[in-house]
Amino acid sequence: MRRVVLVAAALTAALGVPAAAGTPRITVYAASSLTEVFPQIDARPHYSFAGSDELALQIGEGAPADVFAAASSRYPEDLYRRGLVEKPRTFALNRLVLIVPTSNPAHIGSVFDLRRPGVRLVLGAASVPVGKYARQVLARLGLDAALHNVVSEERDVKGVVAKVVLGEADAGLVYVTDVKPVAGKVRAIAVPARGQPTVRYEIAVVRSSRHRAAARSFIARVLGEVGRGRLRAAGFLAP
Amino acid sequence: MRRVAFTAVVTLAAALALGFLLLPVVAIFLRVSPGDLLGRLNDRVALDALTVTAKTNGIAFALTLLVGTPAAYLIATRRFPGRAVVVTICELPLVLPPAVAGIGLLAAFGRAGLLGGSLDAVGIRVGFTQAAVVLAVLFVAGPFYLRQAIAAFEAVDPTLLAAARTLGAGPGRTFLRVALPLAGGGLGAGAALALARGIGEFGATIMFAGSLQGVTQTVSLAIYAQFGVDFTQALAMGALLVVVSATVLLAMKVVPGWRRSPSTSPFLFAPSSSL
Repeated sequence: MRRVVLVAAALTAALGVPAAAGTPRITVYAASSLTEVFPQIDARPHYSFAGSDELALQIGEGAPADVFAAASSRYPEDLYRRGLVEKPRTFALNRLVLIVPTSNPAHIGSVFDLRRPGVRLVLGAASVPVGKYARQVLARLGLDAALHNVVSEERDVKGVVAKVVLGEADAGLVYVTDVKPVAGKVRAIAVPARGQPTVRYEIAVVRSSRHRAAARSFIARVLGEVGRGRLRAAGFLAP
Repeated sequence: MRRVAFTAVVTLAAALALGFLLLPVVAIFLRVSPGDLLGRLNDRVALDALTVTAKTNGIAFALTLLVGTPAAYLIATRRFPGRAVVVTICELPLVLPPAVAGIGLLAAFGRAGLLGGSLDAVGIRVGFTQAAVVLAVLFVAGPFYLRQAIAAFEAVDPTLLAAARTLGAGPGRTFLRVALPLAGGGLGAGAALALARGIGEFGATIMFAGSLQGVTQTVSLAIYAQFGVDFTQALAMGALLVVVSATVLLAMKVVPGWRRSPSTSPFLFAPSSSL
């Protein structure tokens, strides 16, 4: 009998069931583009970084998230309408940038070179925010022809970055904030201001959370002095 | 009394295990009606994914049989130094995580990889093409056949091969007319497993080949891509893969020749008798 208790205790510990004492350790579901900055703002939560659409779907299916932070207003607003999260708040803005491998094998000098036949372009899938924004950029600049050069549609922005860092792709459209972590491995080429979409990051408490107070204080931290400072340092814009 | 208790415990364990394994599979089919599932498969994304899967797996499967069979025959019938190492190399991809296979393939065939530069120089582009999907499937699924084929050829009585040679058959004829039919059961089972594993390949493909509808997006990748967009569609394609895999496994148990071969170990990772 005692062994059963021990095994159960070990299992509980291993599965990360929080201890009764102290602040509960919350779980934050956040867009891939927040992978570097969120742990800087608060190292304590469990983080799950992925494409915003995938995270929204998981929360819709009852995933044990306490906070949802997306690279788009669409998914938090949708979950809010369905009563699954509390009122979302905008905490940052972002811009898009073109990245090429440092060796720049396709000799790309501006976004307008993306139309050139044979350029291997990687975008996010149309269903994930970064892919939707990238298509907006191309449409606004009259570069729809570049869509013929797409060789892979990635499930999140880090997938796009990885393909360019490895030199497998000639170019990719990612968030400005994704460049700093891979500085030296890629070259960033600015996207003209008239091509820039509005990239709005929203954050909300998940209604089914059992730690709503802790979730709210995490959001307060992101919106507060610490969060604003770290977000700015990472290249995000203030809303 | 103790015997009753024991029976109760093992029965409960069996029920738990079966229930747990069956539940996710059943849930796929219960969530959407069969008619809806079928309807969802008649869709551009699903049809493209099916075409890509069929084509890439067809090529990879043919290559696996063509190269794997003679290679397995050699390894199984010859004794040479370092043979255990050779067999281990054949089996290694079986236990490698697909993500490791993916970065390995990138490091080897990627544009900045070991062979990538030379391939690029002669105008062969592997990355983001169906060739990349084929390579991923070959690497991940091929060893399932190779391993089984080595075991099948090892189980062929060497005196029969010797007899064929004594009766005047050349080595090629001995292989084709004696060894191949005798090992047929094990080869069939290995081929079925490799095919099932190849069709389900995901990790190495998404890392090495990328994902683009109609080009490199196989059914597994399409499920992943659709999962955030259209869950029903993802479920429909998932259901299809469940049916395909179940058919292959069931065939292995039912097709008599595949079962009869004594070398056909039901344990995927059972050590080869040569080790």
